[in-house]
Amino acid sequence: MTPNGAAVFAIVTLAAAVAANLRGLGTLCFIVAAFAATEVRGPALTALRRSILIMLPLAAFMLAVWVGIVGRSPAEIAARVDGSRLSAFAYAATVSLRLFIIIFVVQAALMCFHNESPFTAIRALTLPLPVKRLVVLTLSLIATLRHAVDRSHTALVSSGVITRRLSLRNVMHGWVLIQSVWLTAITTVLGRVRDKWPAENTLVLLEPALRPIVRPPGTADVIWGAAALTGLAFVIFERVSGAA
Amino acid sequence: MGRFEFISGPNFSGRSAALRETMQRNAAGDGTFYIGPYAEAALSGLTSTVRDEVLLYRNVAAERPVFPLPVGDEALLRDPQSLSGGEQVLLALHCFSQSAYRHIAIDTALEQLDPGNRRGAFDYVALAAESVTLIDNRDPPDGWTVLPQEPFTKPAFAIDWPKLAELIEPHAASGLSISGLNFKYRNGKSIFENARVTLEPGRAYRVSGVNGAGKTTLFKLLVGALVPGCATMTLGNETYRPWRDGNRALSLATQNPDQQWCGATLAEDIARRCKALTAHPHVERIDAQRVQALAAALGAASLDTHLYELPLAARKRLSWTWPFAGVHPWVMLDEPTVGQDRATRENLAQYMTLMCARGYGVMFVTHDDEFAAQLPHRVLTVADRALRLT
Repeated sequence: MTPNGAAVFAIVTLAAAVAANLRGLGTLCFIVAAFAATEVRGPALTALRRSILIMLPLAAFMLAVWVGIVGRSPAEIAARVDGSRLSAFAYAATVSLRLFIIIFVVQAALMCFHNESPFTAIRALTLPLPVKRLVVLTLSLIATLRHAVDRSHTALVSSGVITRRLSLRNVMHGWVLIQSVWLTAITTVLGRVRDKWPAENTLVLLEPALRPIVRPPGTADVIWGAAALTGLAFVIFERVSGAA
Repeated sequence: MGRFEFISGPNFSGRSAALRETMQRNAAGDGTFYIGPYAEAALSGLTSTVRDEVLLYRNVAAERPVFPLPVGDEALLRDPQSLSGGEQVLLALHCFSQSAYRHIAIDTALEQLDPGNRRGAFDYVALAAESVTLIDNRDPPDGWTVLPQEPFTKPAFAIDWPKLAELIEPHAASGLSISGLNFKYRNGKSIFENARVTLEPGRAYRVSGVNGAGKTTLFKLLVGALVPGCATMTLGNETYRPWRDGNRALSLATQNPDQQWCGATLAEDIARRCKALTAHPHVERIDAQRVQALAAALGAASLDTHLYELPLAARKRLSWTWPFAGVHPWVMLDEPTVGQDRATRENLAQYMTLMCARGYGVMFVTHDDEFAAQLPHRVLTVADRALRLT
């Protein structure tokens, strides 16, 4: 699969997920699962685990509030009808599933290229250079923050301010980690912006490094592009027929 | 014949400013390849794999010998920021060798290299660059033009070593024993396999090994920041499991001081560390006045100064405050001399010797043989996934 194909699949699926109802989301889940099993394989389990971990707190909160406390869905409240906990549950499930699909699809699309370096994948994307630069700078910022987290975590664990394991101390002092990460990241970025990049004109080097490489679309691109479009069409049909 | 300039002088004498001036001179042309004092300033920060870092700088028109890549092909997809400090400097040199830059400026970065790599780096830049401007706290290589920077009449951030020595509280450290230590990173790189060593208190140990061998990893394991696959550690007669119970025995000053702060000011940093000690009732406490005196002796005008606004060399010195405070019986200093001038290095060696005499156990990582020779120590070698004491 080419980066362009993966990007098209992800974008169309994300658009469909945003517009889908519960049945549409079920269909998208099926398409996305097939995509992950075929194109990503083993590493997809990591994406699955991460997506569930991120989605679970929201799902728990939504269930507690909408099913447990309110007992009606927002649509029923707006329509001023009695409503039921079942429709509240459907609402909570829709929102949670939507978040799950969005997180999973983005990861799965990126994981298609886990054996390639980011530059190789970005070069193969059909995007204008300024957008590619923006992608590189965004990834750079993400990497800086990740390292800042790692280093600040080490500092705070070694000094005993937080612990490695889950603890009440971590709940109380978690904000110190955020402050520490922020300060570390700012210092790192300032160091680059002040010394390294102006001396070297490093950002200018991105132009040749991101020079496009042509990768013609393959069978997988066509198949998954078509699958995503089918999913989108189904979602639109569901919405139209539901409205009618 | 190239231009090889060696900017010498004590800390805070304007060496970095002189280096920047040189870089600005070259900025009008094709720029200067810059290797800063720490990892964040050695690499571009724009890439997340070694392969991309090389690709970014590669210029097919460059015609010079290639400086060897410090990692094998299997590590090309590794994050360059996850390499050790020395490996990152070597990677930066590799990138320079592939680039079209004719000038290179290096701010104390070569101090992180082991003697063999350091020699290789000097030989390479002298061969491959049209001009090299270097700040380094060791002796200049033969044939380089030395540009001495005069010290300011009133030295900034001066360390009061006699006062510091006065402030060392005697401590009876317990022996630290490690056995069956296994550790490997998530990427599969194995660092220790059934490693064992026993360290006695009142001694200094130089943790030695080639760049990337696992010296910093050992320190992280000892303070509980990393979890070993399995290990038995004892402190005196007690089991010591910092990864489970927290660190109660070792103070760490990291290679890059900015990676050890627990606050934005020294006051905040110390206060948080002291508060965290309440989890270990047997650990000694320090009073605020003592900390104030320590920080003042290390050159801090005020505990409330924002740490990140201080020069790097001053931050490095202040990063010793906690290890020197005497809270923990074992002190670990990772590359304490990087960026420090000769006088500071000599005094630091004496101070560490004094700490040992007062009962502390000291571990340090350094690639500075001259510094290490100034304090009596044993060598703890990290190599072949084992620990060896000589």
